[in-house]
Amino acid sequence: MTELETVAGLPGVSAAVLGDLEGTFLGAHRTADGETIAAEMGFVGSTLLEIGEVLGLGALTSFSLSGPAGACLLVVRPRALITALVTPPQSLGPVERAVDTAFQEWT
Amino acid sequence: METILQGLLDMAGVNAAVLFDGAGRLLAHRGRSVYDRALCEQVGGPLARAIDSMQLQHEDWESASAQFTDGTLLLRRLDTTSAGPCVLALVADATLNPAFATVAIRVSSNKLKRALDGGASSSAVGTGQGSSVGSLPTYPPSPGPGGSQAGPPAASGSRPALANSGLTWSRTGSGGVMAADQASAGFLNTCAHELARHVGPMAKIFVEEAVRKVCPDLPFSLAASRALADELAMRIEDDADRQAFLASLKKTGGK
Repeated sequence: MTELETVAGLPGVSAAVLGDLEGTFLGAHRTADGETIAAEMGFVGSTLLEIGEVLGLGALTSFSLSGPAGACLLVVRPRALITALVTPPQSLGPVERAVDTAFQEWT
Repeated sequence: METILQGLLDMAGVNAAVLFDGAGRLLAHRGRSVYDRALCEQVGGPLARAIDSMQLQHEDWESASAQFTDGTLLLRRLDTTSAGPCVLALVADATLNPAFATVAIRVSSNKLKRALDGGASSSAVGTGQGSSVGSLPTYPPSPGPGGSQAGPPAASGSRPALANSGLTWSRTGSGGVMAADQASAGFLNTCAHELARHVGPMAKIFVEEAVRKVCPDLPFSLAASRALADELAMRIEDDADRQAFLASLKKTGGK
C-alpha cells in the first residue's frame, strides 16, 4: 500500500492528493480536483518552508488548517506532499495522530 | 493590542506574537530576542500569499498550524469590521503546550477583534515599543464602585484544565517564585485556580508576575496576600468577575 493509499484509507479522510513542493500533481483518491489541490498546497508548502527558514524554525513537517466546514492536513514526505481533506473538521486530531503512527511505521 | 500580544508571549514556549492585516502588513507585535519587528515583517508577505492560496480551497478557515522540526507557527483568522481580515500568528518552540495555546489564542483573538473594531484598544495599548523581554503589560486600573469597564467581560468560557491541575509552588525558588511556607504556597495555588476561572491558562503566569511585583526580593508570605489579590484582580476585566475573584480569595483565607 502506498503512502497516499494509507492516508486516503484513514477514517475521517474524505479525499487525498499526492503532489510535491513544485505543485506537481502525482495522484489522488476520491477527488476530481487533485491537480488544483496539488498546485495550491504545493505553493502553501513552499511558502511555509520559506517562512520557517526566516523564523529559524527548521524544515516544515506538516501543516493543518480547519474551519467549520472541514479541515485539511498537509504532510511533508521526503520527496512529496500528501494532502488529506478531513470531514468533519473534528476528525483532524485523530487523523493527524493516525498519520503520525502510520508514517512512523513506514520509516 | 500589544498588551494582549504580551499576554500570549508570556506563555511558555512562545517566542513571538504578531498581528498582520490581510495584506501581510504588521499591525502589532511582541517578540523575544531575535524575533524583532523587522524579522516578523519579513514573513508578512509570504504569509499573506500562503493564506490567499489556502483560501482558494478553504475559504472559511479559522485556524491553522504549521509544524517544523524546531518549532511551530500557529495562525488564527480574525474577521474584523474595521481592519478587514487579519491574522494572529504565534511563533513557538517545542516547549509550547498546544492545548493551552489553543485556548489562549482563542481568548486573545476575541480581545484583539474587539480592540480592532474600536473597543478597548486604546485603553489597553501598552507603551512597549517593538520587542522586549520581560516588559510587563500595562493593564487598565481596577475601576472603583461604579467605575466604567474598559471592555467586555473576559472569556469566562475559557475555563481551563489548569483549574484542576494541582499546581505546585516552589519553596526553593526553582520555579522562579518562592513561597515562605506551606500556607503561602497554598494561597498561591488558590490564587492560580481562582484566577484561571476568569482569565484562562495564563493564570499561573500572572500569579508568578504578581508575586515578583509585590514581593520583589522576598519569598511570598501571607502578609502580602492582600496586595497580591489586588494585583491579580486587575487582570480580570469584568467587574463582577473581579469581585467574585476577590470574594473567593477572602473565603479561603486571603486578607
